Parts: sequence; structure tokens; C-alpha cells
Amino acid sequence: MSWAFFWLTTFGVAFGVFSLISLVIAVRGVTEIRELFSALEEERRRKAS
Amino acid sequence: MSPPAIVSPFSFLDGAIAALSLLATLWIGLRVKRYIGTIEDYLVANRGMGLYVGAASLLSTEVGIITYMYQAQFGFVAGFSAFVTGLITLGVCLLVGRTGFVITRLREMQILTVPEYFERRYGRGVRVMAGALMAFGGSLNLGIFPIIEARFLAVVTGIPSRYLGWTMAGLLVIALAYTALGGMVSLIVTNYVQYVFLAAGTVIVTLACLRRVGWSGMVGAVEGHMGGRGWNPIEDLGVGFILWQVLLWIALMTVWQSVAMRTFSTKDTAVGKKMFTLTGFLFLGRAIIPMVWGISALAFFWGRAEPVAAPAAGTKLAQMEQLDARLGETFRRDLDEGRLGRALPQVDLLERLAREEKAATPEAARFEDAARDRRGQIGLVAMPWMLAAILPTGILGLVVAGMLAASISTYAGYFLGWSSIIAQDVVAPLAGRELSSRFRLGLTRATVVGLTVFIMIWSLVYDLPGPAYFYLQVTANLFMAPTLIAVVGGLYWRRASATGAMLSFLLGAAASLTYLVPQLKLDVATAGNLSWALAVAGFVIGSLLVPPSRSEAGPGAGGEGQEVRS
Repeated sequence: MSWAFFWLTTFGVAFGVFSLISLVIAVRGVTEIRELFSALEEERRRKAS
Repeated sequence: MSPPAIVSPFSFLDGAIAALSLLATLWIGLRVKRYIGTIEDYLVANRGMGLYVGAASLLSTEVGIITYMYQAQFGFVAGFSAFVTGLITLGVCLLVGRTGFVITRLREMQILTVPEYFERRYGRGVRVMAGALMAFGGSLNLGIFPIIEARFLAVVTGIPSRYLGWTMAGLLVIALAYTALGGMVSLIVTNYVQYVFLAAGTVIVTLACLRRVGWSGMVGAVEGHMGGRGWNPIEDLGVGFILWQVLLWIALMTVWQSVAMRTFSTKDTAVGKKMFTLTGFLFLGRAIIPMVWGISALAFFWGRAEPVAAPAAGTKLAQMEQLDARLGETFRRDLDEGRLGRALPQVDLLERLAREEKAATPEAARFEDAARDRRGQIGLVAMPWMLAAILPTGILGLVVAGMLAASISTYAGYFLGWSSIIAQDVVAPLAGRELSSRFRLGLTRATVVGLTVFIMIWSLVYDLPGPAYFYLQVTANLFMAPTLIAVVGGLYWRRASATGAMLSFLLGAAASLTYLVPQLKLDVATAGNLSWALAVAGFVIGSLLVPPSRSEAGPGAGGEGQEVRS
């Protein structure tokens, strides 16, 4: 296998996976942020009471 | 006739897109301030971070304009060989993610900073020393971010270079505002939004490079203009460099404060491990994608290059002198106006002449060094000049929005990381009494402001001794080598002592600093590996000579069945 082919494959994997995972993060992140806020709000209320 | 200057098409529309993205991020950052009650909320988001948001936060912090700039520069000067660092990062992330090496045990201890572990294991002196060195190295590391990033923005947006200082100040003030007020909660939320912007910008730029230059164009540029280099990392960069990168990336992924803070912020150790596996592939892209931009810029500017002939002089040395003098007159202006198609062939010719001649005339080595330095300077600005030349109005605004998002999240993450070390591990322990959570919160915020002032000044006065990639890695290595050794030794070796840790920090840091002293002429891999070797030697010798006292056998002391929970 030539270096050119090896680096092309590496770049293809890097770019493809980066794009795919970024898409997943963009979609799933919203739910997680809502959960984080709920947890912090609950913690705040618990401390206040 | 010289090639035309590049004029950025950055328009009012682009400016509006970038400004709106910034305002949205600032608004979100300030809104979450109400959730901050304690120092734990501020520094580790009350340890409630999920997998995807954690991955976004980690990547946003570790990707800024500076990352794109130095990775592109590395690709420009080293070709495809530079990709090896991306593969190393992936390997290390997968290893840490699969095994939980170091991160699992640190996360279980519920600490806020890495030096806090040192106090539990070795005593307060080691904590303060580690904290001081981390703050020093971290501040030096952060210190070149603004000037390099402002240069990118000046090129891409067309802001005149005389306003570089103001551009830097604007960037820093925005990052400062919501970091100082919102802390980690603010960071996690804004990092998520910023990640979406930066990922979109990254994909757009990569597609633009592939459309304009194409993979075959990049291959052709490396084959035609790198003198046989640019393919084989072992031949081009050396085994020593690769070994050093492996060690450094293990340290960066386990005990680098901004990364460790994300580990400490996760819901539990399982989420922490998964986060590393997921981000391994993102880190691969973080390295390789901007390197591809750098190689694209190499191909792009060689495509615009004008032919250059060696000056008509009697000897090779005289030719080099004339060429160097000619470059002295035009080089700076060419960089500022994007006429890299004129500068690059001249620098290339000077380097070739010097390489051919240096065996016969040792004085030629001076010209080779000067040409390499100039090639590095071209490499730093080539990618932004290419973007200014190939991206149309509207798309440019989106890309700048993505870059600004990346940059501000990095500042914010690093501000929080280093200021927490200064406040928690240097000032608070030296105060000699228990500080209230409220006071420590105030102290951390004040430190963020002080740090901003420092890096603004450092950025204006310091000249880089070589490629930005090397400077950043060496300033990180300054404390990373001894930190990882002292953590691993503390966790897994019962005989590890405070004396060993102290010696490790002193020797490891001193060896790294040798690279920053140009008179010593130590190459980056030698300085890096020397630092690791001396840090290990100091740790082992110090620990054997002065064994740990009873008080040092605290949580995290190595050995069979040792319980590490605090």
C-alpha cells in the first residue's frame, strides 16, 4: 500500500467520522442540556428549602 | 509582474452573521449564570455533564482558531507526514477510553483540579509547586493565542493589521465576560452551541478545499515541492519526535487541566470513559482536517507562483546573499498582502541553494535556517489567505462565525482551567487557612481577569522561536511530563515520595525550557524527550533516596487493594 493511499484513507475516515459524530452531538446534545438544567434547578431548590 | 494582492470579500452580511453568532453565545452564557451557587457548580458543573455535551465541550475547548492555524502550518511545512500526530491522538484516546487509565481513579476521588490530588498523595508543597508550574506553562501556552488568532481574523475579514491589538482585545473581552460570570455551566452550554458552529465551519472549509484544490492537487504539491519529503513520518519527523508525541498525548488526555476538568465534570466514570472513546475520532479530525487545509494552501499558492531565477552573481554564496536581501525588502509586505505566490518560490530557491552549498560553505547553513523560518511564517498565514481567496461572501461569514465560536470557547475553557489552578492550588493553599466557597469563587473570577491581562501583554511582546505547533507543545510539556509521572507514580507505586515528585517537576520543567532558549539550539523532540527522561529519573531517584513519610500514604497511594475514594 502506498503512502498516498494510506493518507487518503486516513483523511477519509477522519473527515467522515468527524462529520457523523458532529451531527449526532448536535441532535443528542439538546436533551442532555435540558437534563443538566433540570438537575441544577432541582439542586438549587433543594439547597434553598 | 508580481501576483495580485488578495482582497478578502468579507462584507457587511458576513460581519452581521459573525456578530449575531457572538451575541447569541454571549446571551446564552450570561443567562445560565443563575445556576451558579457553589465553587463545584462553577468549576465542574456540579458533576452533571452527559456524554454528547461532554464531547462537544471537550472538543470546543481544544479547538480554536489557534488549533486550525498551527495544524495547517504543520501540514504546510511537513505535508502528509504531519498526519501521524492525529493517529497518535486517536490511539491515545482509545487507550484511555477503553482502560480508564488514570482518569477513572482521579474521577473517583471527586477532586476539582489535578494538583489537588498531589496534596492528598504527597503533601501541600507538591500541590503548590505543581500548581505554580502549571499556571506558568499554561499561561505561556495561552499567551500566543491572541496574536495568532487576530492575524487569522485580520486576513480573513480584511481588518487592517494596525488593528490587530484591538481585535485581540475584543476577542478576549467577550470570552472573559461569560467565563468570569458563568463558569463551567456557562461553558458547557455555550460550548455545545459553539461546537455546532465550529463543526459546520470545519465541514464547509474542507469541502471548499476539496472543490478548489482537490486531493490530486494536494498530492501533486507535496510530490513536486517538498523535495521527496512529506510522506513518511518516520523519515521526516524522526522516531524521537513520534515517541515524544505519544508520551505528551497520554499526558494531555489524562492530566491536562482543561481536559481533566471535563473528566471531573462527567456524571460518572463510565460516561468519562465513553467520552474519550467518542472524542478520539473527533481529535483525529481536529488534527488531520486543518492539516489538509494547510496542504491545500501549499498547492493553491504553488499554483499561483511566479517563476524565480537565481540572481546573477559569481558564487552560490553571493547568490544567496542577494536573494536573502531581496526577500528582506519584500517578504513582510508579501505576507501582509497575500502575495504568497511571490514569496514562496523565492524562499524555496534560497533553501535549495543553501542545502546544496552548506557542505562546501558552512556559512550557507545560516541561509537555510532563515529560509526555513520564512517558510514557517508563510505556512502560518497561507491557510487564512487561501480562505480569503476562495470563499464567497456569506459563506465567509458562516466560517468566521464558526472560527470565532471555536476560539472563544477555547479561551473560556483555558481561562477557567488555569485560573482554577492558580486560585485553588497556589493562592488558597498558601493562604494557610480554609477559604470559604464564596471567597474561592471570587478569587477564581479575579484570576480570570488577571490572566486575560497577562496573555494580552505576552502576545504583543513575545516572538515565536519556531513553528507555533512546537512552541505550544513545549510549553505544555513543561509541566505535563512531571505531572503525568507524579500522578501515575502516586497511583501505582507505593514508594513514590514528595521528594521524587518535587525533583521530577524541577528537572522536567527545566529540560523543556531549553527549547525556548534559542542559543542552546536544541530541537523540539530532543528537548521534549529530555524533559520526560529527566522527570522520570528525578522521580525515581528522589523517591528511592527519600522514601515517603507516613502522612504521604494518603488516598491514591499505589499498591494492592488500595481504596482511592475520598
